[in-house]
Amino acid sequence: MSGGEVRVEDVRYAYGELEALRGVSLSIPAGETVALLGPNGAGKTTLTRLMVALLRPAAGRVTVGDWDVARKRPDEMAQRLGYVFQHADQQLFARSVREDVSFGPRHLSRSEASVAPVLEELGLTPVAEAHPYDVPPPVRKLVALAGVLAMEPRVLVLDEPTAGLDTQQQERVIGALRRRAAAGVTVLVVSHDLGFVAELVERVVVLRDGHLAADRPARELLYDARALAALELQPPATVEIGQALRLPGAPIRAAEVAAALRGTRWKRSE
Amino acid sequence: MTAVMALEGVAFRYPGAAGEALSGVSLGVAAGEIVALAGDAGAGTSTLLLVATGLAPRLVGGTLTGTRRMPGRCGIVFSRPWTQLTGLCSTVGDEVAFGPASLGLAREPVLASAQRAMERLGITHLAMRDPAHLSGGELQRVVVASVLALEPDLLALDDPAAELDPAGADALYGLLPALAAGGTAVLVATPDLERAARVATRVVVLAGGHVVADGPAHLLEGTRVAAIARAAGCPPPYPPDVPSLLRRVGP
Repeated sequence: MSGGEVRVEDVRYAYGELEALRGVSLSIPAGETVALLGPNGAGKTTLTRLMVALLRPAAGRVTVGDWDVARKRPDEMAQRLGYVFQHADQQLFARSVREDVSFGPRHLSRSEASVAPVLEELGLTPVAEAHPYDVPPPVRKLVALAGVLAMEPRVLVLDEPTAGLDTQQQERVIGALRRRAAAGVTVLVVSHDLGFVAELVERVVVLRDGHLAADRPARELLYDARALAALELQPPATVEIGQALRLPGAPIRAAEVAAALRGTRWKRSE
Repeated sequence: MTAVMALEGVAFRYPGAAGEALSGVSLGVAAGEIVALAGDAGAGTSTLLLVATGLAPRLVGGTLTGTRRMPGRCGIVFSRPWTQLTGLCSTVGDEVAFGPASLGLAREPVLASAQRAMERLGITHLAMRDPAHLSGGELQRVVVASVLALEPDLLALDDPAAELDPAGADALYGLLPALAAGGTAVLVATPDLERAARVATRVVVLAGGHVVADGPAHLLEGTRVAAIARAAGCPPPYPPDVPSLLRRVGP
């Protein structure tokens, strides 16, 4: 999908004395799904905010497609890149869920035909007429995601999209993002949830102290116990099971592990 | 075991709400227990914490029916730590000491319990920082320390690792057995069922404001590990975490 390539070239950013990014370079081809990991304070959110023009780099350049993000306003970026904040309450304002989700397409002068299917996809149809602040916080998070999906951006940047969601809601988010990725949308997720990351992405980028500490295919990194330990990351449950039982094919997704375990002789209970 | 906090046939309705957020809930939590509260969004886990700690209906309004026996001292940690700062303290040290100080204790015990709480959460290096300038993860540790400094009989936690990275979340959940061993009753509502399964002595599952299950960790059927076991043909009860799944694989 054209305009979906994201390039970060030797980017630096500081909050006063605190250097949040100390020269980060990263290139994400259109249509790739990437997770951005790292401990609290590593610079993950700063990096994503530079991609949507909410911050301007002190040095270096961020481009989305052929756009230099530093020359764009956040509302211009919205035509190409959809951003979901970690705290969804920061981006909801309309009087109903449906209104909120319709706002983006309407203001980009696009068809609102995308709204109803997106509400349905995320299980929001039953609350479509509710006020966004009358639904529980995890549902608000889905509303924020729906608002961004309805704009049909070429790039999706999501900050902790599964935090606080229950299993069923997480499944809906994973399904929605997989469908976008299959349609060629570039997807970048910031997440601490390696189980979610393993379900979704092809590639993992790790930031630490404002530097790029790793950039590898997800399957390879998640099975590299030494690298994970050095990055202070714990493997997801799927990988722990895969390693302990020496399952073939380095499975990282739940469905892959379940398939590899089919035919196992289970003890009845503990 | 005598319960520190006990609810008997409790129903709760928020002000102006059409239906009950909790109904027919009977639940006791004893000293030394770690009870994980699980349930999908809207199940009533957060409401149950508000009721168990006495904040509902006292602060949030609404109507409570049934019998409730309250612990001597309660502490509650919310999942959005910035909603819980006093807004009165310019340093983390003062923020953590605010709770015990407001109990009217002498200066030394106040400082001692604040210090102990900060050590437990590994935030002594933040003592002189302004709480307004902390990251979400740092703030969450500060809020947990502030509540621990009160040395509550019942510690209620609402998704306390929402802002923490995995190492921070492990450290926080790892703290709970030590607190329970010291006699604290712990009630933790969390969507992070795998971490909960590792530390909980008991699991209570809520749906639509009702308690639908109360017992051992394998009731946490919503974990990713349980879903894998189910899909792979493991007979129930489904193992909720990796160690229990590995124990079920023969020979």
